[in-house]
Amino acid sequence: MEGETKKTFVVTRFDPDQDEAPRTDTYEITVQPDWKVLDALNHIKDHVDPTLSHRWSCRMAVCGSCGMNVNGEPKLTCKDALSDYGDTVEVAPLANFPVIRDLVVEMEGFMEKFKAVKPWIMVAKERAIEEGTYRQSPEELDAFKQFSMCINCMLCYSACPVVSAEPDFLGPAAIALGHRYNQDSRDEGNAERNEVFRDDGGVFACSFANECSEVCPKNVDPSGAVQQAKLLNVIDWATGLVVSRGGK
Amino acid sequence: MLKLEPIIWLLFGAGMMVGGLLLPAIVLVLGIAGPLGFAPAEALSYERIHGLATNPIGRLVCLGAIALPVWGGAHHLRHVWIDFGGLKTDGLVGPVLYAVALVTSVAGAVAVFQL
Amino acid sequence: MSNARPRLDAMRPSQPGPTRTADPRPPDKFPGRGNYLGYVLFGSCGVFLLLSSILVLRIVWALAAGEAAWNDLMAQFQNPIYVAYHVLAFVGLVWFTLRFFSLFPKTQPAKIGPAPRPPDAFFAVALNGAFAVVTAALAAILWGAVL
Repeated sequence: MEGETKKTFVVTRFDPDQDEAPRTDTYEITVQPDWKVLDALNHIKDHVDPTLSHRWSCRMAVCGSCGMNVNGEPKLTCKDALSDYGDTVEVAPLANFPVIRDLVVEMEGFMEKFKAVKPWIMVAKERAIEEGTYRQSPEELDAFKQFSMCINCMLCYSACPVVSAEPDFLGPAAIALGHRYNQDSRDEGNAERNEVFRDDGGVFACSFANECSEVCPKNVDPSGAVQQAKLLNVIDWATGLVVSRGGK
Repeated sequence: MLKLEPIIWLLFGAGMMVGGLLLPAIVLVLGIAGPLGFAPAEALSYERIHGLATNPIGRLVCLGAIALPVWGGAHHLRHVWIDFGGLKTDGLVGPVLYAVALVTSVAGAVAVFQL
Repeated sequence: MSNARPRLDAMRPSQPGPTRTADPRPPDKFPGRGNYLGYVLFGSCGVFLLLSSILVLRIVWALAAGEAAWNDLMAQFQNPIYVAYHVLAFVGLVWFTLRFFSLFPKTQPAKIGPAPRPPDAFFAVALNGAFAVVTAALAAILWGAVL
């Protein structure tokens, strides 16, 4: 077929039953001009080496399953065109995560960080149905909407030098999500979330490398969310010094 | 350290802002143009600079240029240290850097007040 | 009830999973890749902020100590090593400040209290404008061009 080329894929492999540490396997395959990196991995698994393990699902940059490091950069592989690369493409699991097998990372630690920011709407007293719906103006929606576009692909954790250096750090996506709820006009949980934000490994551990926002495939700005959360926490903290907070 | 993070971050942000605005001109004139003879010698004479520094606005500029940027610098350096694997020694390096910042700010306030 | 999270070892779960895992590896190409390099240099410019603060402190001390001390300090600054350092510090501080101002708008939430957030263009004009005006004015005053 026209436009077919050969490319060499250097893929990280790790079998927990046999390998002491991750190693690489090399596959040379013919690729189609419109393929994404994920298409090549699927081709290798289907036609060359069925033992290769990788995660993927939707193939349309919505599910957030197929994040991997391609030539050292965290990428959503279903969105990452092979035509952007040369003859050799290195595919490795996301950095900063323990590896379960080949390209599959352990995401349980990430999920725990997510839970820690209480990413749900908290209200002191649930409104009765007859009191009507919670209304929100377009401006109120704009305050947090972009932070709700995260698909939990974890590329930002792979890119973050602070996650690497300070493992306890909540991390970009979790803070952006917590900030999303703090900025939601329907929510009343700021005080609880800010306690987590101000704890060790919270927002102040971030040193604003901004790499999380650079690699985000959905153009969410997690680094902006973290800095905004810092500023709002400083204000919240200073207010707390002057005004003693009542019972929750 | 925990409860101090917000105040340190506030000083850090103010330090970057104030330092960014004030320090380049000071370093340029007193550190480069003066010593290389570009700036007129009489402009940098003791009496003239003393006069500028003891003016109320001059005192404020001196205080701002000493007491705030030092926090910006200390906090940045602490994080560079952590990024390069220094988390284990952060308990020592962080307080030392902030102590340098605190001592410099206090010394600056005293010096500017007494000038 | 305490809000404390379990302290996590790297990105590991607090309870180990059923299989052995390979250790996390640090981000590839840190700190050599473009964005990382800018970030690390930005943080490292903290040394110029810190030392320049101490420089101003020394200037005030010299002014307080009298004319002889002031002339001593000015003579010290003529040392080529000092001049070279000050050139480096000046370049570092200017670059640092411009990068800080370019990142600054991100740090502003949609609202602080009742005040809505101004557009990005406002920040760019206000911050870079303030930098140009303050630097030029302060340099001109020290230079003796005005006042």
